[in-house]
Amino acid sequence: VSIGSRIPVTGLLVIVIAFLPFLLSKGDIHLGFEVFVILALAQMWNLLAGYGGLMSLGLQAFIGLGAYCVFFLSNTLELSPYLVLPAAPLFCAAVAAASAAALFRLREAYFVIASWVFSEIIAIVISKTSWLGGSSGLSLLTTGLIDLRWFQTVVYWLSGFSALAAIAGSYVLLKSPIGLGLMGVRDNDRAATSIGINAWSCRFLVFVVSAAGAGFVGAINYLASLYVTTVGAFDIGWTGAMIFIVVVGGIGTLEGPILGTLIYTMLRELFTLVLPVSGSWYLVTMGAIAAATMVIAPQGLWPFISEKLGIELLPIRREPPSGMPESGGELGITYRNTRA
Amino acid sequence: MVWIETIINGIFIGALYGVLGLGLALVFGVVRIVNIAHGEFIVLAAFLALGLEFFFPSASPMLLLVPCILITFLFGYTLQAVLINRVVASSRDPTVPMLLTFGLSFAVRNLMVELLGADPRILASGELGRAGLQIFGLSIGVLPLITLAIAVALFAAAQYVLSKTEIGRVIRATVDDRETVRLMGVRPGSVYNLIMGLSLALAGIAGVLLAMRASFTPFSGTEQLLISFEVVVLGGLGSFWGAFIAGVALGITQLVGLRFDPNAGLLYPHLLFLIGLVVRPNGLFGARL
Repeated sequence: VSIGSRIPVTGLLVIVIAFLPFLLSKGDIHLGFEVFVILALAQMWNLLAGYGGLMSLGLQAFIGLGAYCVFFLSNTLELSPYLVLPAAPLFCAAVAAASAAALFRLREAYFVIASWVFSEIIAIVISKTSWLGGSSGLSLLTTGLIDLRWFQTVVYWLSGFSALAAIAGSYVLLKSPIGLGLMGVRDNDRAATSIGINAWSCRFLVFVVSAAGAGFVGAINYLASLYVTTVGAFDIGWTGAMIFIVVVGGIGTLEGPILGTLIYTMLRELFTLVLPVSGSWYLVTMGAIAAATMVIAPQGLWPFISEKLGIELLPIRREPPSGMPESGGELGITYRNTRA
Repeated sequence: MVWIETIINGIFIGALYGVLGLGLALVFGVVRIVNIAHGEFIVLAAFLALGLEFFFPSASPMLLLVPCILITFLFGYTLQAVLINRVVASSRDPTVPMLLTFGLSFAVRNLMVELLGADPRILASGELGRAGLQIFGLSIGVLPLITLAIAVALFAAAQYVLSKTEIGRVIRATVDDRETVRLMGVRPGSVYNLIMGLSLALAGIAGVLLAMRASFTPFSGTEQLLISFEVVVLGGLGSFWGAFIAGVALGITQLVGLRFDPNAGLLYPHLLFLIGLVVRPNGLFGARL
């Protein structure tokens, strides 16, 4: 399946997302906004962990940095927040690139913990910095520069754009030769290195891209509430939600996070709107579902459904060249790059 | 004088951090899983002690440790046997058990919020908490001193059991090669159950002692987990005394940092951890991987 054949569907989705605000109530637009935000973030964690093999517990660092970057620039330069929005992904990419040299010295569990500690350090430093609002957070002071009648619709569009861009961007990246290298490194980095793939640059690329993505989405999310605090923006709960979505939906697939986001959102709506119980029960259920998924179907729901029904929406596996064996034999590289 | 007291108090709290890390290191080193729910189990033990105190108000807090150790051991043993061993056996991917404990941590934390409330609690330590000694002009609490003694005893016991006893040999053999020990009649699953039980018993002891020192909520687990991890990783895998020293170093850094900078929280221990790790990626005392 070529990338070109996906363009009409993508165009259709863009039109649907663009026109939905005119048909929906304010509450529904807000729900749509939340869904797109968490979907985009989940795709970023999926790219990082599911394709880059970098199990990070620190992606919330970039949500916070992106948000603070936009609030600070907009307030200081007295520019519309929309104008300074592109600074968020750029700044986050730069921070990620600068920290990669140190963080990448650590592997596996060590990296997991170090990424989390890294985020905690940034959060504490910001909460102690008075010109960033300290522990009471930052409010957006430039609301006079934005048209508040259109504000909700615009941030909704931005969230929809982020979610589509996260999926389409991941798809294009994974379809490219870089994506093949990436999956090779994830599955067996020594074997991949032995055939000339630079494992370090592959990881570096997904680390920087996912940081930029998380930064952009974080900025949009806090822009919508016009207020950001370190407690909220650097909450490990962000990454917790991403992990839940990706793990339940199916890690290392592009469809998995979409399915996971649907389950996550429906579960939350069910608990907060339908059942008369408090919010924590929904988190209890979420944790239990994630744990049960690991016991019953460790690959997550999508690979399970996909195999049973024989459908693939965004396949990134390669067909082996004709006349080639299915597996690379001694090198241990499989041409069919699915997580079997 | 105030600096010496700060450092001594840092050693006291750091020794407890060491015990937290020791529990996590056992599971990480032997079962090779990263137990994300370790922090929640520490808090669970603190709540358990709180419940026991409610039913036996006249019992000394130190006496409460005994049932806490037994219950947390059985809990860990059962958890590993019933749930975690299923995924350890069926998948070679270490992220699967890690994500299982991630789900557990979410469920346990919010279950505690729902059933036990999110208000800060503290375990009353009574007379013992107030008792102090004057040594060379320094005032030293009796409770922290007992805590340090317990921590040192636990480290010595762990070192002895692992290097000198039959069960220690079995555990080390399982770490080296979990397939080959089967040929010698050892069931790795049973070893894992024992290790998880011991790990949670250690978490339980530290949890109870920490709850006497400072207030806790169901959300405290996240912070405890982070500290436990820092101890394990900074100390280096496979080195018990490394974990002890790392715990003490983090404890001293925390309290000295707070003297300079009262609202720094855990900033300085985090910085020490990150810098230590970047300089020595395998921890201070860890073997080169």
